Amino acid sequence: MTVAYLMNLAVNGAVEGLLVGLLALAVTLVFGVARFPNASAGDVAMVGAYSGWLLQSAIVSLGPLSLVFAGVTAMASAALVSLALYWLVFRALSGRVGVYALIASIGAAFVLRSVVTFFLGHDQQVFAVPLTRALSIGPLRVLPIDLWVGAIALAAMVCVFVILRMTAMGRRMRAIADNPQLAMVSGIPAARTMSGLWLMAGALSGLAGCLLGLKTVIAPEMGWDLLLPAFAATILGSVGNPLGAVIGGVIIGIAQEVSTPFVGFTYKIAIGFVVMLLVLLVRPEGLFVARARVR
Amino acid sequence: MEAYLIAIAVYALVYLLMGLGLNLHYGFTGLINFGHVGFFAIGAYASCLLTLAGYPMPLGFALALLLPALAAIPIGYLSLRLRSDYLAIVTLGFSEVVRLAIINEKWLTNGVQGVPGIPDVAQGFGLPVSGSVAALIVLLIANALAIALVYRLTRSPFGRAIQAIRDDEEAVRALGKDPGSFKIRVFMIGASLAGLAGAIYGHYITYITPEQFLPLVTFYVWVAIILGGAGKVSGTIVGTLALMTFLEGSRFLRDLLPGVSEVEMASVRLFVIGLALILLVRFRPSGIMGDWTSGGTQR
Repeated sequence: MTVAYLMNLAVNGAVEGLLVGLLALAVTLVFGVARFPNASAGDVAMVGAYSGWLLQSAIVSLGPLSLVFAGVTAMASAALVSLALYWLVFRALSGRVGVYALIASIGAAFVLRSVVTFFLGHDQQVFAVPLTRALSIGPLRVLPIDLWVGAIALAAMVCVFVILRMTAMGRRMRAIADNPQLAMVSGIPAARTMSGLWLMAGALSGLAGCLLGLKTVIAPEMGWDLLLPAFAATILGSVGNPLGAVIGGVIIGIAQEVSTPFVGFTYKIAIGFVVMLLVLLVRPEGLFVARARVR
Repeated sequence: MEAYLIAIAVYALVYLLMGLGLNLHYGFTGLINFGHVGFFAIGAYASCLLTLAGYPMPLGFALALLLPALAAIPIGYLSLRLRSDYLAIVTLGFSEVVRLAIINEKWLTNGVQGVPGIPDVAQGFGLPVSGSVAALIVLLIANALAIALVYRLTRSPFGRAIQAIRDDEEAVRALGKDPGSFKIRVFMIGASLAGLAGAIYGHYITYITPEQFLPLVTFYVWVAIILGGAGKVSGTIVGTLALMTFLEGSRFLRDLLPGVSEVEMASVRLFVIGLALILLVRFRPSGIMGDWTSGGTQR
């Protein structure tokens, strides 16, 4: 095992970590405002991946352009699913004990997965991607598709930060996250802002699912498997902190990949869990701001 | 037909035993345990591997009670420091790690291939009946004891304390009681019940694989206790009956609906369980046996 090998793993882990971070961003946005860990985020991502794949297999003759349409479809369909979940399920639970919303989100995850497996089966699917040679950068060998995946994930994150920081909608979201009652009496349209938030979280999840499908395979369990690392990243980066979620995701992605030569492939998911446990025990407020309370 | 009825009864009693444990955690103490199947799996593998190594089955059952309780101690400690939704994530992660460990530690568990040829309950206790009847008898005894235990426990000072912790932890603290030790003990007892359920299940089915210990099992039990009414023993019984009626009914339904494969039926089952979770917390969180006068919003 050479240093170059570990560095390659780290690069791969960083790309995967950006995807974890993308889902963690969706989780943390909802957590910050609706105050519950949304366990349906992973399966919303899975729905996005499948809808992108369905579209791409219909228009595969367009070549690489079909992937662009697939990504847009994945984001749009996941955003709509996410909005529907808010209106049908989570809105009514907002004033109630947080546990109810969490249980309902698990139920929503099952419902989404059951619908996909009923109609599309349990087989793994792949996007039609042109075969490319790995690029050599010094000791590193990187697949162009990984560079694309990483770059798109980063671009989406930048978009989210621009929306949160520089638009009126983003200011309203942050206001509600900060103090819902104060936001209400200041005349912020809560329902519209929340709809925007769930749309954004859904689009992020859909993109995460689509990019993960592009990098690996599309499978019914892909979203659920991405969920635990995303929760870990959310907590590691301080709940409700968007930048923290992204950084947490990258840290967990790298930790998962670099650990594989030592602990084996199966324990990869467990690494995210262990990181989460350590954070909860040593610094439960996460690495960044200490606004969220964990007990 | 008789064999089929026995099979249903065995499954119902296995779920009931798990449900009694989870009801202690969530219904009586308010601890959100999303990793119940982890304790179930530990119990199953502990007893099955021990009896396969030639030790007597009662010893296997004892280990199935002990090991999950030990595994519950660190989780109980965590529960003291975490808000309930964090505890939910941690316990869910715990059960997934248990499953990953079963898959990965092939020297002990034979990995995804599973453990075949487990001695059945009739062999283990020297009973002159078939393995499934023996499992049924042992399950009936175990459930009767567990129900008696939960009744006694929840009507004792200990039981009043844990229900007070569920309703208002700060008040309990203000009265000079330490909620921590109660929570850890509750976690251990509930985990033991799940572990015993796992052991009897393993010896009944005589072949266990990691596939049988997916998080879905945990949420079957959750549906049962919320549907019946959390915090009530009668609720767990009624909820488990309803769950089994649905799970088994879906098999008959498949015979009536030609062209629906078993794989598709599994999707339908997952759909109904998911929908049940959503609808229950949305419209009837106190369950069938809960208080009907309050409009169903109270737990």
